Amino acid sequence: MRTLIRVIKFTGQSLWRNAWLSLITLTIFVLTLMTVNAVLLVNVVTSSAIRAVQNEVQVAVYFVPGTSQETEKSVRGYLLGLSQVKTVEVITADQALQNFKDKNAGDPTVLAALDEVGGNPFGDAVVVSANNPQDFDFILQAIKTPEYAPSIKQTDYTDYQTVISKLTTFTDKLRIAGLILAGFFALISILIIFNAIRIAIYVHRDEIGIMKLVGAQDWFIRAPFLLEAVLLSLLATGVMAGVVLVSTKALDVPLMQYFGQVNVSLWAYFTSNALIIFGGEFLALALLSSLTTVFAMRKHLRV
Amino acid sequence: MIRFTNISKVYKPNMTALHGVSFHVKPGEFVSIVGSSGSGKTTLAKLLFAEEKPTSGKIVVGDWDITSIHRSEIPTLRRQIGVVFQDFKLLSRKTVYENVAFALEVAGAANVRIKEVVPQVLKIVGLGDKHERYPHQLSGGEQQRVSIARALVHRPKIIVADEPTGNLDTVTSREIIELLKKINEFGTTVVLVTHDRDIVNALKKRVLTINGGKIVSDVEHGKYVLG
Ligand SMILES: Nc1ncnc2c1ncn2[C@@H]1O[C@H](COP(=O)(O)OP(=O)(O)O)[C@@H](O)[C@H]1O
Ligand SMILES: [Mg+2]
Repeated sequence: MRTLIRVIKFTGQSLWRNAWLSLITLTIFVLTLMTVNAVLLVNVVTSSAIRAVQNEVQVAVYFVPGTSQETEKSVRGYLLGLSQVKTVEVITADQALQNFKDKNAGDPTVLAALDEVGGNPFGDAVVVSANNPQDFDFILQAIKTPEYAPSIKQTDYTDYQTVISKLTTFTDKLRIAGLILAGFFALISILIIFNAIRIAIYVHRDEIGIMKLVGAQDWFIRAPFLLEAVLLSLLATGVMAGVVLVSTKALDVPLMQYFGQVNVSLWAYFTSNALIIFGGEFLALALLSSLTTVFAMRKHLRV
Repeated sequence: MIRFTNISKVYKPNMTALHGVSFHVKPGEFVSIVGSSGSGKTTLAKLLFAEEKPTSGKIVVGDWDITSIHRSEIPTLRRQIGVVFQDFKLLSRKTVYENVAFALEVAGAANVRIKEVVPQVLKIVGLGDKHERYPHQLSGGEQQRVSIARALVHRPKIIVADEPTGNLDTVTSREIIELLKKINEFGTTVVLVTHDRDIVNALKKRVLTINGGKIVSDVEHGKYVLG
């Protein structure tokens, strides 16, 4: 108990008397966490972007007008049976006609032409959305069976196809780049943290030497440095959590506007996962800095 | 109290600092170890408080064989041997009182004991009125007194002083030696490493002379013999 109080006292003195050094170390800790959280953030945004596009991308299958309800139903069942298919939405010929009329309500010539044709030129259609944009190719192939092909007038997808493949390769690349970047930053962070701690210990080398000479145990010499590392990690995580929560709150409104109907709340993401994200970051940082401290002190504790 | 038996110390890669050194110091003795620069005096002192380990031979302190002392036992040894250096080794950001108290704090002493012992030892070294000064507010002699006070807090059986007067003028040096003699009179064994001829001659105590890592003379009431 007495030694615990002394360890805390020495830690406080060291933090206070080397305030600038504590501040620099703290800044480095915060910057390290910042890169980690930035990568996380980019990851959330890109996966939301993909989801946004995925939700918007659908393939429309138009039936030849007059196709029997039986066949249409069997196609729907067939599509729904595919594991790649998420939803199948039916648009009847009447709905299609109505949609067309609504869309061209301001264009009398189109409506006149429609009257000219007489009746309903549209057939029934189904709108298919997939679980994964890569699967559309498969779905389109799947529907071209000899059994169903004659009933299908047209599939409307080609416009999206290239966009999707481009987007998926782009986001895949982005994710890999993000991971490489994160790894790179983590490595640099480890080096910087290691050096910051080495400097902190170098500043205290006289004190460590004297402690050894007057008969202090190794663990007692180490304890204040370890406590300092843990405290600074905690403080850095706190500062970082504050920055992340404030900035994501501010980012949310423009982000939601950009992505439209897809619900992208970075704030919600970070708050609902706060314990895992910030807790994990604190633990990782505290562990890293403590290990570094022990390692950096080895030289000074030798004699 | 201290027994060196055939001690050799070779620094890597092949610097032989001590060569077959044997001697015995009785409890309560005051021994001066003299020799020119580079003769191995500091090495001998470091072996005593286990800052270095001997390459061969045997070292016994009290009845404790410290030849191959485990690092976890070194703190215990250092609480029994007070050390004093030429450069004082004080913490500049701590007051006189705090510098001395520090040695007890790190050893886990109780607060009441610290409050009792620190003023006592500061009084012994003649700094009873300077508790709140910082090292830079003291003369060299006073700083050395602080470091001697710190060496005394564990009530050590042995004090090892490596050139304690190396940074001090003649008058101040004499005062520091007087202080060490006083401490010796209380019963503490003192090992004084020095190359100061006048000090040794005035002391009229046992003198161990070492040269080139070997003991070349060992006389009671000795004089500084080497040039
Ligand atoms: N850590 C060391 N590594 C290598 N050589 C050393 C080391 N310490 C001392 N020496 C050498 O050992 C010899 C004795 O040194 P030292 O004991 O410091 O002598 P003194 O204190 O009598 O001046 C010297 O030649 C010195 O250069
Ligand atoms: Mg020396």
